[in-house]
Amino acid sequence: MFRYVVSRLLRWVPTVLVVLLVVYALAFFGAGDPIKLIFLRAPGDVAYDEVRIEAMREEAGLNRPFFVQFADYLGHLVRGDFGNSLVSGRSVGGMIKNALPITLKLGLAATLLLTLIGSVLGVIAALNHNKSLDTIISAFALTVWGIPVFVSGPLLMVLLVRYLNVMDVPYGWKGLFTPQIILPLIVLSITPMALIIRQARSAVLEVLSEDYIRTARSKGIPNIQIVLKHILRPILTPIVNQMGLITINMLNNAVLIETVFGIPGLGQMTVKAISGSDYPVILGLVFIGSTVVLTVNLAVDLVFPLLDPRALDKREVKKT
Amino acid sequence: MNTHEYNEAINAMQATLESEPSRSLIKDAFSRLLANKGAVVGMVIILALFFVAFFGPYITPYDFLSQDLTIRNQKATWAHPFGTDDLGRDVLSRIIYGARTAVILSISITFISFIIGTIVGALGAYVGGKVDAFIVWIIDLTMSIPSLLLVVVINTSLKPPLIRWMEEMYLKTFRPFYRETIWVDFVLVFGSLALIKWPKAARIIRGQILSIRNQNYVTAARASGVSTFGILKKYVIPNAMGPVIVLLSATLGEAMILESTFSFLGIGVRPPMPSWGNMISDGLRVWHIHPHILVAPASVLAIVTMAFSFLGDGLNDAFNPRQWN
Repeated sequence: MFRYVVSRLLRWVPTVLVVLLVVYALAFFGAGDPIKLIFLRAPGDVAYDEVRIEAMREEAGLNRPFFVQFADYLGHLVRGDFGNSLVSGRSVGGMIKNALPITLKLGLAATLLLTLIGSVLGVIAALNHNKSLDTIISAFALTVWGIPVFVSGPLLMVLLVRYLNVMDVPYGWKGLFTPQIILPLIVLSITPMALIIRQARSAVLEVLSEDYIRTARSKGIPNIQIVLKHILRPILTPIVNQMGLITINMLNNAVLIETVFGIPGLGQMTVKAISGSDYPVILGLVFIGSTVVLTVNLAVDLVFPLLDPRALDKREVKKT
Repeated sequence: MNTHEYNEAINAMQATLESEPSRSLIKDAFSRLLANKGAVVGMVIILALFFVAFFGPYITPYDFLSQDLTIRNQKATWAHPFGTDDLGRDVLSRIIYGARTAVILSISITFISFIIGTIVGALGAYVGGKVDAFIVWIIDLTMSIPSLLLVVVINTSLKPPLIRWMEEMYLKTFRPFYRETIWVDFVLVFGSLALIKWPKAARIIRGQILSIRNQNYVTAARASGVSTFGILKKYVIPNAMGPVIVLLSATLGEAMILESTFSFLGIGVRPPMPSWGNMISDGLRVWHIHPHILVAPASVLAIVTMAFSFLGDGLNDAFNPRQWN
């Protein structure tokens, strides 16, 4: 097991390196020199003094070749130093430390919510296969899967706040268990919920045709007991398998949701960094985002054999 | 069984086979698709969208730019069915032009990502070995990172230098082409989106080629001397058609959503050029006072994405009957 984790980590390193290299190159060749960007952005008519700029570039080490600078950046990154923001001058690490918990809390709460509700709905749909309840749940899943969060969020907000008047304007962040988090949480969890519903539904349908279910039924075991004992375990596997995809979905949607509802998490930080061409921040965010996705994927791979010992055998066969 | 009886039996079998009209794979799938109500409704909505997008300038009641400050923020009236926005522009006309933006961009994104995906996927499947391993690694890499962020970076970092270059070219040549910086937006949006969309196409096309190529009937055809091109034309392309059509519809829908996401974040198509994304972002500023400016484009986008979901689901059922339980 330990060797497996290490080999996964070793495979992750080149991936992140390539991604960081691409972003760094884009910033280096596309956006231009950070010192010049700072000068261009300075308020008023700051003297565009070539000599002074050259001196500052020299001091910051920006005269060195591309790969030397990139290696330097990586060296700092390994030591946990993300550099400083070009706009505010604050340390990127500190900014991430403030924003990350908010996005993580929101994401974890949404994941928990959507997994619970989604699997229950999926099981209900499968047990009523081809009946009207199944049709309704499947149509619901299809409907919500496509709609982007910056459409469902504002539409629900207009409906609930302005027309039904059941809540205040949800804006800002005062902790996870506050009323203004309800709407962002719903919107964030509703899209990936469709994924869970469909996975759970098809998994249950598959299990229902197994011999051991028929045996259990013929022994006269009540339906509810069959569901609890024999069906819930097999559907855990496909659900856990979706977690990587759900994490990517959450991170992408956080950018939009946090903009709509004014939540000061990683998403809002991303939008601000982009509009300010704040490359140290963007690089840090890319690193954190890929790390989160990797961690989830790794956790999924580690939990998988516990749920389904056959999965480990299959993977061993595939590797050889 | 003597020869005579045998021949008769064969003739009888042929007769029954010929009495039933033969149907091609595509026709068969299409009839299954038409039986699915949700998919038909979705298809009608999408066809209507394409119609509106192509004939937009002939059917819009107003120009998307014409402002009339005397009728700002009006609610729906007969003259302006979806109301007017904060500059007195007709919301319906802007939605129709937004449909043009969405359709043009999503068709280009799909087209480019499919060309790249087909070339790369076929290359991987046919060359194999290290090339294939590298291609698979690239595909996995692009699918295991938060792609939105990467695309956003490409967009923001390449736009300023490109626009600067256009300005320089204009000052040199004075060709009006270089003044239209709107093209930079379009090219960057569909270029960078095609960049994250091609791996999916490549993965499916590669998988299809690999699985079909190892079928017994292809081996038999090759053994009997059919050329590579002949096998491709006769067996690989028709059999790979189903998953590719399903993917095509999904990519069109996703590209449309991504385009509006970009414009919503303010890095895609910039105002005054209308896109549903930047209309929603405009509407979000005044939603509490004038909700119709937000609700109209958001509802249209919601309906279109729903249509794509239902059509995609129908296509999937129609073309992959083996997935039925």
